Parts: sequence; structure tokens; C-alpha cells
Amino acid sequence: MRWHKRLLVAGVTGVLALTASACAGGQVRGAGGTPAPQQSGTGQSRSAPSEGVANDSTFVYVPNLDVVTDWDPATSYSNEIVALSNIYEGLTRYDAQTQKAEPRLAQKWTSGEGGKEWTFELRPGVTFHSGAPLTAEAAKKAIERTIDKKGGAAYIWDAVDKIDALDDKTLKFTLKYPAPLDLIASSGYAAYIYDVGAVDPDGKKDGGTGPYTVDTWQKGKETELTLKAYEGYWGGWKPEQYKKVAFRVTPEITTAWQLLQKGEVNFVQRLNPQLFQQAGGTDGVRTSQSPSFQNLLVLFNTSSGPAKDERVRKALQAAIDYDGLAAALKGSGQKASGLVPEGLLGHVAGMQPKQDLDKARQLLEEAGYGPDNPELKLSLTYAQGDDDQKLLVTLLSAALKKLNVTLQARPMTWNAQWDLGKKRGQDVFVMYWYPDYPDAYSWFLNVFRSADEPQFNLSYLKDAQIDAGIDALPELTATNQVRADETYQDLQRKIIEERAAVAVPYVQTYQRALSADVEGYVDNPAYPNVVFFYDLKRAA
Amino acid sequence: MARHLARRLGQALLVVAGVVVLTFTVMRLVPGDPAVAFAGPKATPEQLAEVRERFGLDDPLPAQLVAYVRDLLTGDWGTSLRTRQPVLDDLYLAFPASLELVGAALVLAIVVGVPVGVLAARHNRRLPDLGVRFTSMLAVSVPVFWLALTLQLIFASELGWFPIAGEYDSSLDTTSPLTLWTNITVVDALITGNWPILTSTLQHLVLPALVVAAYPTGVIAQMTRAALIEEAGQDHARMERALGFGETAVLTRFALRPSLVPVLSIVALVFAYSIVNGFLVEAVFNWPGLGRYAAESIKARDTPAIAGVTLLVALVYTLANLVVDLLQGVVDPRVRAR
Repeated sequence: MRWHKRLLVAGVTGVLALTASACAGGQVRGAGGTPAPQQSGTGQSRSAPSEGVANDSTFVYVPNLDVVTDWDPATSYSNEIVALSNIYEGLTRYDAQTQKAEPRLAQKWTSGEGGKEWTFELRPGVTFHSGAPLTAEAAKKAIERTIDKKGGAAYIWDAVDKIDALDDKTLKFTLKYPAPLDLIASSGYAAYIYDVGAVDPDGKKDGGTGPYTVDTWQKGKETELTLKAYEGYWGGWKPEQYKKVAFRVTPEITTAWQLLQKGEVNFVQRLNPQLFQQAGGTDGVRTSQSPSFQNLLVLFNTSSGPAKDERVRKALQAAIDYDGLAAALKGSGQKASGLVPEGLLGHVAGMQPKQDLDKARQLLEEAGYGPDNPELKLSLTYAQGDDDQKLLVTLLSAALKKLNVTLQARPMTWNAQWDLGKKRGQDVFVMYWYPDYPDAYSWFLNVFRSADEPQFNLSYLKDAQIDAGIDALPELTATNQVRADETYQDLQRKIIEERAAVAVPYVQTYQRALSADVEGYVDNPAYPNVVFFYDLKRAA
Repeated sequence: MARHLARRLGQALLVVAGVVVLTFTVMRLVPGDPAVAFAGPKATPEQLAEVRERFGLDDPLPAQLVAYVRDLLTGDWGTSLRTRQPVLDDLYLAFPASLELVGAALVLAIVVGVPVGVLAARHNRRLPDLGVRFTSMLAVSVPVFWLALTLQLIFASELGWFPIAGEYDSSLDTTSPLTLWTNITVVDALITGNWPILTSTLQHLVLPALVVAAYPTGVIAQMTRAALIEEAGQDHARMERALGFGETAVLTRFALRPSLVPVLSIVALVFAYSIVNGFLVEAVFNWPGLGRYAAESIKARDTPAIAGVTLLVALVYTLANLVVDLLQGVVDPRVRAR
């Protein structure tokens, strides 16, 4: 045999061996191991005879990370919120405009006993995707299962003592302590009402009540997930609504942008400021920019080290170039006013901080530092790979250098940063915070309430007066919103201005781009990155 | 030959065992609690304890290593902290896509690189040679992400000749669903005769394969050229010339075969290299491959997944080297005799 031929034979043998070894039997892609179910896919919707002028196009959402890591509505606590929020519904849904929970699966509700008793009346005519009707008993089972699972954000129900199904449509919660249960029930995580018998960890079926149900799920593929309309949805369907949704995972922002320009996709979750600006002037593309519920916290070590001195903390607050930072972020963040972002009860207008280097110098001198005194060294930790935080660190280092303060900044992974923080190992801790349900209480309870073993209280603040204020919040939110608002304002003044435990430089902004033919899109910061596809329609 | 092979196999096993121990050690030396990655950024202490318990993170390190090796051997490569799927399942999805991309790129690189190397050797130190050397140097040194973005912008976005991103048009999943045998889309489409998916995949493959092929093509061309020039200076070449063979015949009929031995080792090397280093290309073109999986896993500090990728690449690397050893014996009998 000539050597060429031998080489060819060896090559072919290799390929065959590879094929044989990789061989796992024939499976149809998209069916996840079993043959494809009877009806699935875009092909069918084309020929669906039920709608006269049905919108047969698929809405394509571009996330930059894998969509689903957890199919269980009880424990889901990650990116899959963008899909699950369209498959599942809660008792209520938060409206950032009215700052209130609005009816969803519950039509109306009342609270009594100073916020310790809540009665929800369920919407009639709702069915789960499994076919079972929504009853108070089913809802009770779902919430109880979520609580028992103890995963993800299940702690939001911590206040619940017991749940009773008074009749078919009435659900009564008895709480251990007062809490705004209507807000808790609107959470994007752990508040879904589902058919407990239909939970499937492989995503082949789901037990939701929402307008969409799972069509195909292909882990790791580019088009990871497709959803289709649930025909029995209680809200009904109109022809111009999107009845098909696809999630096309695109990690590279420039690639996402090109796909949008070509009209291959409808919604890009996040663009960078440069592309966002370009998108604003591009035909066929619309942009949307709105503040999120996520803000950056610069937490000062109030328990040990040089920042234990209140004057040093106030000097650090005054040294941050808030306006310079906001400008450098080019729209991906905006100056914050207080701890509570706009759109939540407790937000204070007019609390925007300003840089004041003279004041900083004076405070440092009083504390024995500054240009004419020994150098002050401060350690700071922040998130590795986060360009926005890096910008803050760069600006702050430069400003402090002039004041004879050296900032030893360390970018770290969250795990390592958090571990060090729990051991009180730094002077300044930089992190983002966001609430799991639309209530500002999360910032105060988790980040600023005293704790002997700090979890997220990484300023290590210990203040009985502040604790008392925080502890009064849940009941006030449930019973007297005006008083709650005042308490929030008072707490923010104390924590930021009096105790100087934190500086809040900016609130993150969502910069989205969508195709111009999509109508009805509203960004709801209570549900990060979620598009409620049911609310959209396609312009003729 | 058999002894030679057995020795290489033994060495390969040693390398893989070393990689296992090394990855395990490095993963546990990195600061930070791996349980946080699984339980989520806002995990309660109880949730963290539960995760530590479940994955045995509180056991002493040697015990963890023993358990790890035992699990690996029984086919349990752990559960990814990020995707929450068994790592082996994830790899089984990601690896074939990379194999497809890198395979196509290597075929391209060999088909172009070897003849171009011959051309350069034939015209040593003249214009064609200089042209080939300059272009291959460029191909080797151009940053892949730049090349990927540029090709995408020009040939996909502006000219529209090729799709922007993806492995194939996903709407074909419903109109002509693909039956999977090897999980390598091109191969499966070919053996099941699924022409729509085959055509679509080939179209999607062109740009990323070109980008991935740039580096191997340059290296193979340079290597072929150098080996040929050396071989053409050997005694046997003088003999062939004396017998009246032309320069081209000397190169292609006699010198090429022994020259392929070093070229083949280079192919094995760039193959293993491209499998993981294709991640920038995979990211730009949304290719659902191993490089992208590795990059996402590293970002999420997903220890089991990173260890899985490392192990798989080590296996691929040693396997590729073994295959090359075999092929070298086929190409050059002198290797067998050694």
C-alpha cells in the first residue's frame, strides 16, 4: 500500500473510532433524550389555523449568559428569572411607577392585626399548565413547598407562621411578626405559585400559571430555550401578541448588537455605553434606559483600623468624585440619592452627595492625617472584572493621593472578598446591593443591622438606635406607609450623614436595545432583566 | 513498535494522573469558599453549611482527593456549580462543538498549509517564499479576537455572505430535527442525510473555522517549508537529482514524506491548543463549544467544571500525541524500527 493510502486509512479509522466512542445512540436534538413531542416549534405556529391574523413571529431575547441553571420555582435564584417570570406568576406583581404591589393571581387582599394577618382572594378561572385549576389549597402547597426547600430566596417567607386555605379561593396567612406580605408576594424569586406535582428539574414541563410554557430546552446551545403561548392563559390572547419566544445566548456584546441590527433578534439585555449611544441613532432599533434597584455601596470599617475614626470615614465620603464618576460611567450608572433607589418606598430625593476635597483635608487633619502628617494607608477590596467599580477605585485613589492617603485596592472574586470581609479584613468594602423583593428593608436589615458575626453588615456598624428604627420598618410598611417613609429617611440620614458608615456613589442603569417594531416594552426594575413578553405586541 | 507504544501510553497515563492531582490542588488553594459559588451570593450560613456537607468540602484534603479520583474513575466528574448539571454531561454537549470547529479548521490548515509550505521550499529565498513566510508570520501573530471581529463585521454584517453567529439556524430544529449520534452536528447531519442542517452548519462554520485555522496554517506552512529544505539537502536528494528528477519531484515524491513527521507532531500540538484557545472565537461567533464553557466556568469560579475541562484537555492532548505517534509510524517506517 502506498503511504498516502495508509495515511488515509489511518485517518478514516480514527474518525470512525471517534464516532463510535462518542456514539450515544440516536437522539433528536431539542427533545432532551426522548423523541420530540407531538407539537412543538415555530413550524407549527405558521400553519396554526386558530388565529386569523396571528403574529407568527418569534420574539428573540438575547441574554449574555446561560439562561436556566435551576428549573425549580422554589429554589430558582439566578438568570432564569428572565424565563420563569413568564412561565410562573405570583399573587401580586410590583409596579415601580405606583410603588405598590398590583393584583396578579390574587385579585384583592386585606391585612389586619397590625400587619400580622393577610387574606388574599384568588382570581377565578386560572389553570396551571398541567391542567389543574388554581385553588387556595394548591397555592398554599406551593408556598409551603418553597419554604420547606429552604433554597434560593425562600427566606422571604420567614415571617409566615401558618397558611390556611379558608375556602376554594381564599388564602389566609398568619405571621409571626408584622411584614408587608403583599410586597413579599411580588418577589421575583421564591414567590411563584405553581402546581407542586408538575415540577420537573429537566425543564420538560412546568407547573406555572403564566402566559408561556416551556417548548424546548437545550442546555449549552446557542438558542438555549424556547417558550410557547399557553392557550388556556387566564388573560386570553390577542392576535398581535408574541406567541413564541426564544432565548439566544450571546456573550459578546458586539455580536449581539450586529444580530439586532440585522433584525435577527428583538431584545438585547445589555449594551455597553458606546454601542448604546450608537444604537440611539440607528434605524430599526429603539433604546431604553432606566435606573435599576441595584446600587453600589462603599462600606467603611466602623469597628477597627483607621476608618474606625468617624472623621476619616467622613473624609473618605467627601473625597469621592461623585460627578466625575457618573460622567465616566457614560450612562451605565447614575448618581444615587441615599441608600434607597428611586421607585421604592423610602427613596429620598435631594440626598445626592458631592465631592469636597477641602472638607476631606480638614477632617483628615483633625484625625491626625493629611498632607502635613504621616501617610495614611487604607485597604480596599472590590469585585474582580467589574470595570465600573474599577473606575471608582481609580478616581478615589487619585483624589486621596493628594491628601497623603494611599489606597491599597485589591480586586477579588466575590467568594474571597466576602470571606475576608466576614473576618473584618479590610478598611473599605465595595459591593453592589439589590433587594430580593421590592422593599428597601433589605438594605437596612442585611447591610446595616448589628450582627456579632457579620454576614452582609460589612461596615460592622453597631448602633442600637438604628437597629430599633430598622426593626420598626416591617410593621410600618404594612400598616402606615407615611410613617415608614419617614423612618426610612431618618435611617438614611443617620447611617450616611451622622455615622458615615457608607457612601453610595451610583445606581446602576439598564441600557437595553430592542427592535423598533416591538411595542409596549416597560422596564420593571423589580424584576431584573425580565421582559414580560405577554405585554408586548408587534407593530403592523 | 508495540514496546514504543506501550511506553508512550505509560507516559501518557502519568501525565494525566499528574494533571488530576495538580488541578485538584490548585482548585483548593485558591482563596475563598467554593460553597458560595454553588449556594449563591446571598447564601445564609445554613445554606453554606449544607452545600459544604453535600460536596464533602469540610473533609481533609487528602480524603477529598481520594474521593475525587474514585469518582472520576467511576464516571462521576462532579456537578457544575454554575450550570448545576453533571460536568460530564456539560462536556458532552460542549466538546463535540469544539471538535467540529477545530476539526474543520485543522483540515483547512493542512490542506492549505502543506502545499503552501512546499511552494515556499520549492522557491526558497525567492518571491513566493518571501510571500509565504510573510503571510504565515502574519497569520500566526494576528490576535484571533481582532481577526474574528473583523471577519464578522465585513463578511457577515456588511456583505451578508455568511451568518453573524451561531452553529446553525435554530428554526431548523423544528422543520428538520437532527437525530444525534455523535453530537457533532456536521457528522450527524451527514450520516442521517439531514441536508438543511448540514448546509446551514457549513455556512455558519466558514468564518469561525477560518479564524481558528489562521494560526495552525501559518505554523504548518513554516514547519513544512523548514523540514523540506532540510530534507532537500540530504544525501538521498542529491542522489535523486543525479538520477534526473526535477526539483519539484524531489520535494514532493521523496522529501515530503519524511518531512511530514515533524509536521504531524505540530498538528497534534496545535489541535489540543486550539480546542481551548478557541474560546475568544467561540465567544464572538456564539459557538457553543468547550472554550466558551471553560471561560464561563472560570468566571464563575466553578471548580468541578474547570477541573473537568482541564482533565478533558489533558486527555485530548495525550490522545492526540498517541495518534500522531501511530501516524508517524505509518508515514515513516524508520520510526517503527526505532
